Amino acid sequence: MGSNNNNNNKKKNQDLGLYFLEMARASSSMGVEDEKEESPMELNTINSSGGFLVVSPDKLSVKYTSVNLHGHDVGVVQANKPAPVKRLVYYFEIYVKDAGAKGQIAIGFTSETFKMRRQPGWEANSCGYHGDDGLLYRGQGKGETFGPTFTSNDTVGGGINYASQEFFFTKNGAVVGSVFKDIKGPLFPTIAVHSQNEEVQVNFGQKKFAFDLKDYEAQERMKQQMTIEKISLPPNVSYGLVRSYLLHYGYEDTLNSFDLAGKSTVPPISFAQENGFDEQDIVYALNQRKTLRQLIRNGEIDAAFAKLHNWYPWIVQDDKSSTCFLLHCQKFIELVRVGALEEAMKYGRVELAKFIGLDEFENLVQDCVALLAYEKPQESSLGYLLEDSQREIVADMVNAMILSTNPNAKDLHGCLHSYLERLLRQLTACCLERRSMNGDQGEAFRLHRVLNSGKKGKC
Amino acid sequence: MSLFWIVIRQLAEIEAMATSKKVITREEWEKKLNDVMIRKEDMNKLVMNFLVTEGYVDAAEKLRMESGTEPDIDLATITDRMAVKKAVQCGNVEDAIEKVNDLNPEILDTNPQLFFHLQQQRLIELIRNGKVEEALEFAQEELAPRGEENQSFLEELEKTVALLAFEDVSNCPVGDLLDISQRLKTASEVNAAILTSQNHEKDPKLPSLLKMLIWAQSQLDEKAVYPRINDLSTATLEDPTV
Repeated sequence: MGSNNNNNNKKKNQDLGLYFLEMARASSSMGVEDEKEESPMELNTINSSGGFLVVSPDKLSVKYTSVNLHGHDVGVVQANKPAPVKRLVYYFEIYVKDAGAKGQIAIGFTSETFKMRRQPGWEANSCGYHGDDGLLYRGQGKGETFGPTFTSNDTVGGGINYASQEFFFTKNGAVVGSVFKDIKGPLFPTIAVHSQNEEVQVNFGQKKFAFDLKDYEAQERMKQQMTIEKISLPPNVSYGLVRSYLLHYGYEDTLNSFDLAGKSTVPPISFAQENGFDEQDIVYALNQRKTLRQLIRNGEIDAAFAKLHNWYPWIVQDDKSSTCFLLHCQKFIELVRVGALEEAMKYGRVELAKFIGLDEFENLVQDCVALLAYEKPQESSLGYLLEDSQREIVADMVNAMILSTNPNAKDLHGCLHSYLERLLRQLTACCLERRSMNGDQGEAFRLHRVLNSGKKGKC
Repeated sequence: MSLFWIVIRQLAEIEAMATSKKVITREEWEKKLNDVMIRKEDMNKLVMNFLVTEGYVDAAEKLRMESGTEPDIDLATITDRMAVKKAVQCGNVEDAIEKVNDLNPEILDTNPQLFFHLQQQRLIELIRNGKVEEALEFAQEELAPRGEENQSFLEELEKTVALLAFEDVSNCPVGDLLDISQRLKTASEVNAAILTSQNHEKDPKLPSLLKMLIWAQSQLDEKAVYPRINDLSTATLEDPTV
């Protein structure tokens, strides 16, 4: 092996190590992956059409207090925030407490620049469902036949379905109808009152909706799913991906059982020959990778170190590399886990102290050492370090390092990501890209959500 | 890279611009791919879900030990389910029906179509084994009454009985009923029914996600030119082309 190769190895080693270091640090903040977007919580009292209406102190109900004279004294009020868009559906409701003299109440969506003395739907870039005639208005003076009228004691809802790009409205828990959303940009939930004593309460989700939003969302997802299920896949592709996943991560026992079962199914699945698929590359060092994974998962870090020194000395030769760092951290964590605090402290002084002051290691060193401060470290904010997933990261790192020693390894990606993971990344990236081209509207793909949905069998 | 390919690529980009599609280069796309966060635990769960749903009980048990991933169903129930499936696959339909009823008698009671298909399979097996008289008797006594309840059952029954009319079934229009694929179809129907009765989804999630990938790529194709994955089995990222 020439010096060039050695340099290459060193570079690979560094890059892979940093990747897993990032993973180890990220695991402290995992779980907060849901995108937080501000939602409307109350009515905007600042730009509402003052003089015609009164907003209650809790900013969740309005009353028309004057006598209406013409079409430019509507009491309109928007929510304090626009409807969030990074989701499947946005929805809010109003309850008509009093339909007043004429019941000219409306619910809808308006853009930020909406003229605040007009009914939603009367002006461009707005849409409204009106109680007195049951018509839907979309920026023109004339309404369209839409649904029933609504009056005192009715609960009426307005929603945006970002998947179908539609507005929809409900009355007393049932969908009245939907209409294409042809307005771009942020949209504010809007309500209007326009005759004496009309009083409306709004619910931005603080209270239970009359409408079953969860069920509506489930049905929307199902519609999409139906289209998708019609797509056909090449035979045995899932089988092959599971197999390559097990190979990639060195789950050798699982793989052997899987193969054994594959042979006895009717008809037997002979994946490798069928696809002319060359698995030499991932069978590489399978047994050693499995052994090391087991040791690390059992918390036997010293033994793992010993094996590595024996089998792959260059992986652990630089004691200041991220690989050694993560292994040392894990050893420290294992000592804390079994309550050998004194030993942990000594180990930390010898093996971890040298990483203090190095930027990329700093956080993790601090977190590890801080474990000593807690009587019950599992329950502290650093508890993530003691979880199984932390062992798994270290095991995955060692696995990737060994894969990278394969002279046939084409690139780093091959060592880091299984085929399955590459496909899941591609799926996520495609969904995100498409959404960002669509004004960020709609739901992102989240593997986590897909896995946790449908626990109860639906057929 | 040869000049030829550079020109080809530039032409492709120009063409893409003409149709006002956004062009995403390999470098840009790879950055996006790297920014995606996929949890290892979730991938393990996905693989576990496949093993469990497809009935790889030993492999599921091993994966639990090797990765600490908990299966989303009691593994013991898989063994029973696989025994039923296997019985159908091997043509022991009577045995399969008995096993399903041992597992949960409601499955067949509430699922007349499944029960009919199992009985039909039983008939097919009798015909396959040349037990003509037994087959006819079984068809008249067990299957015909069900056909009266349901027109589509009757049609399927007639199709099956038609097998008896041919000397050489390999050449007859309904011969595919004797094919192994018919057993597999019936077996997977029973499998799905048992899973549903156990409050578990009847299909693994992985194939749906792969379909979703194909769908998501075709959706994005409408708006952008970007590196696609065309071969799922090797997950190879192709250079963007128009």
